[in-house]
Amino acid sequence: MGTNASEIELDSIYEIESLNEGSLHQKLSEMGCIPGTEIEKLFSAPGGDPVAYRIDSYILGLRLIEASQIMVKRVK
Amino acid sequence: MNWKRIALIGNPNCGKSTLFNRLTGLSQKTSNLPGTTVDSYEGKLPGSNTTLIDLPGIYSLFTNTDYEKVVVKNLLGIDSQNPEALYFILDASNLRRNLLLLSQVAELGIPTAGILTMHDTALRRNIEIDVDKLSELLGIPIIIFNPRTAKDITPVKLLNPVIGNKIQETANFKERLETFVKGTLPEGISAETLLRYNQIDGIIKQCVTRKTKFSAVNTLKIDKVLTHPVTGILAFLLVMLALFQSVFMLAEFPMQGIEWAFSFLRNQVEDWLPSNSTIGNFVSNGIISGLEGVIIFVPQIFILFFLIGILEDSGYMVRASFLTDRIMRKLGLNGRSIIPLVGGFACAIPSIMATRSIRNKTERLVTMLIVPLMSCSARLPVYVLLISLVVPVGVFWGPFHAQTVLMTAAYFAGIFVAIVMAFLLKLFLKNKENSEFILELPTYQAPRIQTVLNNAWIKCKSFLQEAGKIIIVISMVLWGLSNYGPSKAMQNAEALSQLETANGNPDSLQIKYSLKLEASYAGHLGKFIEPAIQPLGYDWKTGIALISSFVAREVFVGTMSTLFQSNEEEDVVGIRQKMQAQLNPATGKAQYTPAYAVSLMLFYAFALQCVSTVAVLKKETGTWKWSIILFTLYGFIAYLSAFIAYQILS
Repeated sequence: MGTNASEIELDSIYEIESLNEGSLHQKLSEMGCIPGTEIEKLFSAPGGDPVAYRIDSYILGLRLIEASQIMVKRVK
Repeated sequence: MNWKRIALIGNPNCGKSTLFNRLTGLSQKTSNLPGTTVDSYEGKLPGSNTTLIDLPGIYSLFTNTDYEKVVVKNLLGIDSQNPEALYFILDASNLRRNLLLLSQVAELGIPTAGILTMHDTALRRNIEIDVDKLSELLGIPIIIFNPRTAKDITPVKLLNPVIGNKIQETANFKERLETFVKGTLPEGISAETLLRYNQIDGIIKQCVTRKTKFSAVNTLKIDKVLTHPVTGILAFLLVMLALFQSVFMLAEFPMQGIEWAFSFLRNQVEDWLPSNSTIGNFVSNGIISGLEGVIIFVPQIFILFFLIGILEDSGYMVRASFLTDRIMRKLGLNGRSIIPLVGGFACAIPSIMATRSIRNKTERLVTMLIVPLMSCSARLPVYVLLISLVVPVGVFWGPFHAQTVLMTAAYFAGIFVAIVMAFLLKLFLKNKENSEFILELPTYQAPRIQTVLNNAWIKCKSFLQEAGKIIIVISMVLWGLSNYGPSKAMQNAEALSQLETANGNPDSLQIKYSLKLEASYAGHLGKFIEPAIQPLGYDWKTGIALISSFVAREVFVGTMSTLFQSNEEEDVVGIRQKMQAQLNPATGKAQYTPAYAVSLMLFYAFALQCVSTVAVLKKETGTWKWSIILFTLYGFIAYLSAFIAYQILS
């Protein structure tokens, strides 16, 4: 079982491995969440959801359920 | 080289609208495409006969919302004239994602020129772009241009759009777009997106060097405070309070100015056409008051949209959505619903217009439909009068000031029904688009006041042009109802009032107005509906006031004061005393009891008693359907709750 983006920790850098098939696949990929892209958790809203991620060079807010569609692996 | 129509296209938050404002200034106007409520703007490029079109900011052509459809339709020339050339706005700090849209647009073979914005931000983040190389790889001319600071727009005017390279070619691209506009997402879009990104990454490698890793230090520092569980929520509440207070209080001064100007105008007209003549009455009370009823909203609309503009432009608005998403989602709303809902406490009109920034159609609709339940400032004078009928000033219930408790209760009654309505609407309205957050959090920036002012003014113009007409027409009908009546009744009223004048009654003028209103069609209507509203504790006078206050809720107070022959129109104490002295002819007891007041407060809290709201709902939903449904539904809720309250309390 790999890690998905909703589970990642602050202050470490991950890389996107794949996106789960489903209705969000297209939207997430056009927002630049494609395999090989760096992803990092920056901060979250009160209550822990949604979460702000760095995708390559910009900040993207995602609900946890949306982030769980992104499979990642730790780089640093 | 002399293009007639050039469209500006790019991602959201790339500085496109700022550039458009910088280029066109005040010459811009909105243009709604048929069948959508998405605005695109048009304006003239100064010193040329080129029309610039500001298309909505999007990330990709193939996302299923109205925004993308508007852009695609524009590019293909469906329902509108297609642009001859494009200015493609590229955010230098975020080039990779920006190039996705460019790679799609490039396939259409429209002459394009690139404008690289946010170049200073990119440099600050140690992102260096080889612009010549980029231009060579894309096959289009590209300039670095900062619309926030640029003094001269000549570089943009000198741009010469050409047909660029196809970055990643897809078979039958145009046909795919046409299928998409008809409503079906073509096959294999995700795979196509991946291929595009592969090519884009190749381009990025050749012309972008990044010395250090991501370093949007300032934005992250600000976000640490503004999204923090304590300071973030505190800041959010402060912003909302400031927003509400500003619309409520800042608008008061210009609104008084408008009232003053119109009463001055009426006095001037009076010299030419005395208001006791039919034409004079029609001109000053029908036409001029109708106009006033429209223009009076302009300060609130302007101030709300000015403030929203500042919040949007600075980047805070998205954070507000980010903070509130969890709660709003549960209600079937959107983080962006919060602004219209807070604004609704000041006035529903600009707030309903402000829902345009909610991109999900269903979430936008639900927000629009519950905004009128927020107790707006026009209900305040009605509440004040009615509360004074329940308890006198200075009474305390425990530690609480009784009048304040009742006022707060009235506000919460509206909020409570709004929450219930949101839940119900969530069940009944299928959300066709996915409820999703997926939102870019742009870099914080100092808002550009010129752009914000321009946009606020455009909102006022579109309100005046579209909703204004409906408001004037309905106001004039209501004017007719309260000024004309069956001729016999009107003659009787006239004769009676002349008798009073002859007897030297000092209040004869007030008596005349009161008698005439009673004899008018509105008076007859009031009496006609009396049996229906009797179970709520209302008499025919209340009936007349209910009907006439459809123009604006606060008119209730004025009508009651006319009917009670009060000297001072706005003197709550005077009307209250006269109302309290009134006995119910059937029972011989007081007519206007606390039960009556509570019942009527509930009625005003819920009923859609406002022609302007009805008109704006029609404008923003594009059909009369929702205006009619809401009017009926909220009328029913109002009636039912008023009925229950009166029956229990009396």
